[in-house]
Amino acid sequence: MYKLILIPILFFLTACSDRLVRVMPYEKEYLAQDKMKLSPVDARAEQEGHIFLIREASAGGESAFQGGCGCR
Amino acid sequence: MKKILILLFLYVNVFAAGQVGDKAMNFQLPNLYHLDKKMSFNDYKGKVVLLNVWASWCGGCKEEMPLFVKLQNEFKGSSFSILLSNIDTNSQNAVSFLKGVDSHRTLHAVYDGDKILPRAYRCIGMPSSYLIDKNGRIVDVFVGSINENTLFKLKAKIKALLRK
Repeated sequence: MYKLILIPILFFLTACSDRLVRVMPYEKEYLAQDKMKLSPVDARAEQEGHIFLIREASAGGESAFQGGCGCR
Repeated sequence: MKKILILLFLYVNVFAAGQVGDKAMNFQLPNLYHLDKKMSFNDYKGKVVLLNVWASWCGGCKEEMPLFVKLQNEFKGSSFSILLSNIDTNSQNAVSFLKGVDSHRTLHAVYDGDKILPRAYRCIGMPSSYLIDKNGRIVDVFVGSINENTLFKLKAKIKALLRK
């Protein structure tokens, strides 16, 4: 009997925690705003990327096929 | 053990997303263009409906909208309707977007600011479209933007449903 009550409670609690943590796609209105972008000004993104590369003193590592080791 | 399995089955069903074969949810929501007027899903009884959950902040939703206008115009005079359900916080954002895409108000639209429909259907992506037959059953679910390729398949399904 104890198990029968415990199992649904556990299921319910896990479902609740899932719902609390996960942001559903239809709840992303504010996340979709331009100001939420890492680089809000598109025109500046390239320049920021360039500065990032100089600071890190390496090339690559930004795309899937370059390792970021500097050797390209 | 049997009881546990029954409970597990119930649990899985309660939290499942809207699926093919499910009965479409009946609702009463304000008209997007006239918020004081209510629209009910019962008004579409006996019709083939494409219910689309969208928002003006969602790029994919905006992308597919011209295709919907084209699709609705193709099925003009038939018992097929596209019903848009907008979930924006501010309905004016949606209205001003639709003004540019659907100036003749070809598409029917409701305003679901409380996100009742996406919660009920547990939409796993935006936009989500549900093709509903004349008996009010979900026949197909489209998650994500509808493109020309999907539209071709969708048209064939709509034609088959209208013939039934």
